Amino acid sequence: MWTTDQRKRLVLEHEILQREGFDQFSVYINKATDTYYAAGTATANSGRRYQLHIPIPSGYPGERPPMYLIDPYPLRMANGNLVTSLGVSHLMHTLEPSSSGWAQICHWRTARWHSGIVLQKVFLKGLIWIEAYEQHLATGRPLAEFVLTMAERA
Amino acid sequence: MSINDPQRQMIQEAMKSIAERKPGRTKLVYDKTKRTIVAVSEGTQAPRALNITADDADMFAVATLSSRWLREHWPELKRDGSIAVALSSWDGGDALTQRDLGVQPAPSPEQGTVVLDERTAAPAGVAVRIVLAPTDGTRPDAATFLAPDGSFYRAAGRRTAGGDDQPIDVCFADVQPELATRRAGVLESTVLADKMVLCIGLGTGGAHAAIELAKCGVGRFTLVDRDRLSVGNVVRHPGGISQVGRLKVNVVRDLIHEKNPDAEVATHPVDVSYENQESIGQLVAQSDVVICGTDNRPSKLLINQLCIEAGVVAVYGGAFRRAYGGQVLRVRPKQSLCHQCFVAAMPDEASDVEISTSSDAEAVAYSDQPVAVEPGLSMDVLPIANLLTKLALLELLAGKQTSLSILKRDFDAPWYLWLNRPEPGTQYASWPPLSASTDEMTIHRWYGIYIERDPQCPVCGDFLSSIADGYGLDLTSLNELPASPRQES
Repeated sequence: MWTTDQRKRLVLEHEILQREGFDQFSVYINKATDTYYAAGTATANSGRRYQLHIPIPSGYPGERPPMYLIDPYPLRMANGNLVTSLGVSHLMHTLEPSSSGWAQICHWRTARWHSGIVLQKVFLKGLIWIEAYEQHLATGRPLAEFVLTMAERA
Repeated sequence: MSINDPQRQMIQEAMKSIAERKPGRTKLVYDKTKRTIVAVSEGTQAPRALNITADDADMFAVATLSSRWLREHWPELKRDGSIAVALSSWDGGDALTQRDLGVQPAPSPEQGTVVLDERTAAPAGVAVRIVLAPTDGTRPDAATFLAPDGSFYRAAGRRTAGGDDQPIDVCFADVQPELATRRAGVLESTVLADKMVLCIGLGTGGAHAAIELAKCGVGRFTLVDRDRLSVGNVVRHPGGISQVGRLKVNVVRDLIHEKNPDAEVATHPVDVSYENQESIGQLVAQSDVVICGTDNRPSKLLINQLCIEAGVVAVYGGAFRRAYGGQVLRVRPKQSLCHQCFVAAMPDEASDVEISTSSDAEAVAYSDQPVAVEPGLSMDVLPIANLLTKLALLELLAGKQTSLSILKRDFDAPWYLWLNRPEPGTQYASWPPLSASTDEMTIHRWYGIYIERDPQCPVCGDFLSSIADGYGLDLTSLNELPASPRQES
């Protein structure tokens, strides 16, 4: 299922995370199912902790990997509503939630993704989203007011 | 009037000119004084006469039969003395075209019979009867048929309709030789017959390119598109309103057959996605050239990856928003930049796409920020489709000497830019008017632009080594990935 280049790339991406100060995140292999995912705990400036989870799709790196925020669960907005209730939202920079109800963070839209983007950049966008989310919780203002529409360049 | 009467000879000459629709030395006029048709020398002023033109003389319906079909059925005709022929009746019976000639029959079918003996009557209910009479073949015309045994026959037809029995003209069409003759000035007729073109995405541009290549004589097509033709498509797509609801692959297949009846066309009404990349990859590997007319980046990048892996040249075309312009990218694997190099080097240009369908809009919209469907005009998409076709054609002709070979010099850039209008809000808004500039960039001109291939491209280059170098990592001594601490993926 996975090509040699795909496997090599994921090993390399894991190494980049470890060496570039992103070692709270790792790329994992599930040997039983021969599947990959990247995951880790992001700590916001406030000290609050958020679990990020990126299942690696079979077409990676050509195919865009989704990034889910799996803890806290369920994730709520400042008004108490579920983030996932918004679906694909520009105001909160979210995409379709997972079938298990995890909120999906919009890092790159599928129409903007390309295989030159590495997981380190994806996690960086996740960290930015979390800081903006905390600002949203503090002010009640839409998350989009705290982050620019994410640029395409990797 | 004797057979040698000069007037009789002039009439014969004039009628021949009219039948061949060529000017002659004599012409026919209706002499109002004599109340009869007479022949006069061309240039003669006949004040009391009415000129007779070829259109006046074109009185009979025309039945067109396939020479190839008749050659194939000749033994049957010789054995039985007659053979049934299915005709499409167009324009109230003005044109009767054998159905075997094309794929799109007229709404009014008509039955005919071809007979070898004038005394053979048509079966009941058969309106058209075509008699083949032996002839010496010294003056062959459109009604002359050369049988497989080398003998010549001349066809004459009659049609019975509403109690009237009218003569009809008969002509034979030898489709492939006649089509090849029309291309022969520029393309050798057989050069493209064995070439396989994979057309992925059959919107306005992709469909147009496929049909144009069929006209050029490309003989094998594989068509991939999951969509059906909608009413909204019709203002741009080659398919018409009578085709609405059909799969685009089938609409385009039939249009290809209308232009090149012998073309082999395989259809795949599927999406281009990572789920079916293996099957799409097989189609790519079997192709000489891939034409990518899809309108979204994921499919383009997937096709790019598959073409690079298979070493197959791909040509990508796309219109900018509302088709204010467009671009064409030709990718020669590992020789020129690929689509991945392009999106990384030119992200703004790569992202400037036409939103021509609701699915295009959904791909970039948010539930709280909709995106309008804003297709451009057909006339603004066709220049892009034409260059897409030409670049594909040049790739198919690579290594062949044709009149088009000279174009390899002109179309050597990988990326081509076209502007239909200086769209406000774009970097092109201040381009000078066409009339004011001869050396500055303007609308309605193609610009070939060189962009270097990225040797570190993740698709066509050595991304892994370069990124490892960039981070000071040794690819040969990387640790294994940690095993998942959880059971689920």
